[in-house]
Amino acid sequence: MDRRTFLLRSAEAGLGVTALGLVGARVLRHPRKPWDEAAFAPVRPTSVAVLRATSYDTDLEGTVLDGLRAIKADVRGRQVLLKPNFVEYDASTAINTDPRLVAATVLAMRRLGAASVVVGEGPGHRRDSEYVMRSSGLLDALKAVDAPFVDLNTAAVTRRPLRSRYSTLRELWLPAVIADRKTLVVSMPKMKTHHWGGVTLSMKNCFGCAPGRIYGWPKNVLHWAGLEESIVDVAAAVRPGLAIVDGITGMEGNGPINGTPVAAGLLVFGHDPVAVDTTAARLMHVDPERVNYLRAAKRFLGQGDPAHINEAGEDVARATHQFNLMPEFAHLRPGAPTSTKGVGSGRSSGA
Amino acid sequence: MSEELRSRANEDGGFAPSQGASEPEPTAIAALALGADPVGEKARSWLRAHQRRDGTWAPVAGPPRPTITATALAALALEHGDERTRALDALGRLRAPVLAPSPLRGWGWTPRMFGWVEPTAWAMLALKRHRPNARGLIDDGERVLADRECVGGGWNYGNRTVYRQDLGPYVQTTAVALISLQGSEQRDLVDRSLHLLRARWRDEAGALSTAMTVLALQLLAGASDPDLAAARDALSREIAATVSFGDTGALAWSVLALAGDVDALTVS
Repeated sequence: MDRRTFLLRSAEAGLGVTALGLVGARVLRHPRKPWDEAAFAPVRPTSVAVLRATSYDTDLEGTVLDGLRAIKADVRGRQVLLKPNFVEYDASTAINTDPRLVAATVLAMRRLGAASVVVGEGPGHRRDSEYVMRSSGLLDALKAVDAPFVDLNTAAVTRRPLRSRYSTLRELWLPAVIADRKTLVVSMPKMKTHHWGGVTLSMKNCFGCAPGRIYGWPKNVLHWAGLEESIVDVAAAVRPGLAIVDGITGMEGNGPINGTPVAAGLLVFGHDPVAVDTTAARLMHVDPERVNYLRAAKRFLGQGDPAHINEAGEDVARATHQFNLMPEFAHLRPGAPTSTKGVGSGRSSGA
Repeated sequence: MSEELRSRANEDGGFAPSQGASEPEPTAIAALALGADPVGEKARSWLRAHQRRDGTWAPVAGPPRPTITATALAALALEHGDERTRALDALGRLRAPVLAPSPLRGWGWTPRMFGWVEPTAWAMLALKRHRPNARGLIDDGERVLADRECVGGGWNYGNRTVYRQDLGPYVQTTAVALISLQGSEQRDLVDRSLHLLRARWRDEAGALSTAMTVLALQLLAGASDPDLAAARDALSREIAATVSFGDTGALAWSVLALAGDVDALTVS
C-alpha cells in the first residue's frame, strides 16, 4: 500500500485524517494566532540576493561571498552550523545540496570571520548516514576543507517546547547543537518540488534537524502530525538565521527524491527563511501564496510579501526558471485556476 | 572493536547514540553485541531500570512516546524475566491501527501510527524468538513486509510507490527485513530479497548496511555462503571509518556481525 492509498484509506476509516485539500484551508483560516506572540519578533521587511551560477566548477566560494555580502550577513565570531539536504542519495539524480557548494560555504564563512563551522544533517530516509554522506561525496568535500560533520540523527538532544502550534506536536527534541541559541543555523536546501508540500526549500529542510531515532525514518512522526503544519512548527523551532538555496541544479517533477534534475543556474541568499522560500518559489514559477505552509508562515515567522522583500542581484521576474510540476500541483502556478482539491498534506504517513 | 564499544559505555551502564545521555536503542544493541560480557550485563541492568510501566522504552528520558524499535530490541537483548514479558505484551498491544479495507497492521516507529518496515521487522523477530505462539501477530507482520516489498525484491523504509513511481530498496532495511523473516514460509519473498541483497550490498558501503548484510546472510544463507566472507572482509575494512563517524548502534551491530555469534537473533 502506498502512502496515497494509505491517506485515502485513513480518511475512509474515520481516523481523523484530514482529507486531501482541506489542510490548506485549515492552515490559512486558523481562527486564532497559533503562536506565542512574545516569542516572535514582528515580521519586517528584509533582503534576499539572487545570484547566477551556472556550474559547480566555477569560483563558488567567491559567489557565496558575494551573496552573503549582498545581504550583509555578519557571521563574525559565530558558531555556524550548515544544514544541507542529504535526505537520501541517488547518483542518477539531484537530490542533494551539492557537496562543492557546502565546502565553498564553509570557506566563505571562515573568510567572513566565523569562529567555527560544522556541517550537520540527519538523513530523512536512511538510517545509514555514513553511507549517504560517503557516497554523495560530502565527507570527501568536507575533508578537503577540514570541516567536521555532525550526524543529527544520533547527536545528543534537548527538549524544546514549541512556540507555534500548527501541528499536533507540542514539543520538539532537537540536537543540542541546533537548539543552542549561540549556533547560527544556515539552512542550505536544494531547490526542489515536493510531492506533498509543493516545494521544498529552507523551511522544509529543517526536518533534517529532527532526529530519526525519535521521529522515525522517513521522519514519519512529523508527517503524521500534519506535514505542512509540521514544516511551519519545525522551522519556527529551528529558526535558521541564514538560508542559501542551491538552485544551480534543482529538481522538478516528482520531487524531492524521484524528480528530474533541472539546470536553473541560481543561488538564493537571505536571513529570513520565509522570504528566501517565497523568492525561491517565485523563481520556480510557483505562486508562494498558493503554498499552504508559506502562507501560514508569513503571518508570524518571516516576510512573505514580495513587496517587502528587497531583492539584490538578479531580477526575480527575469531569472524565473519554470520548474515542471506534477499534475496534482498545477494549481500552484501563478494565475492557474485554484483547486479545492489541491494537495494538502494533512496527516501523511511520510516521505 | 569490541573494546571500542565497551569504552563507550556511560557511567550508568547505558550507551548513547553517539555521545551524551544513555538511550535504550543503542544500549539494547550494545547488550546484544557484548553478550555475557560484564559491560553487556550492565547494559541489560540499565534497560531493566529504564523500562516504562507500560512495558516500553522511550528514545530519551522524557518524551511521552515510546519507540517500537527500542522496545523490540530490548526484548531481544533481555534474558527471560518479567521485563521481557512486559515488553512482549506491549508489542502485542501497540501495533499500527487497522486502515480499512486493508486488514494489515504491522508496527510504526511509535505506537498507533502507520506501520513501517524496520519497526515491524524488529517487533516480529522479538515475538518469533520469545513468543512464537503469537501467530496472529507474526503472520500480520510477515504480510506487511510482503505488502511493502519493492518491485524486484528488497525493502526501503516501507514505501514501494509514490505517485505512480516505484521506489527502490535499500540494503540496510532489506537485511533487517530478511533477518525477521527467518522461518518464514514465504520462500519466494525471502529468496527474491536475498538475491537482491547479494547483488546490492557492495553498492551501499556504510558499516551499518554491511553489518546488517553480514547478519542477514549468516542467519538466512548460512556460514558457507560465499558473499558472507566477502561482506565480513568489507566490514572489517569499513569499521575504522564508522568508529570515527560516531554511531554507537552501527558500531555495535558491526561488533556482533564480526563476532559471528548470532544466537540472540536466531529463530529456531
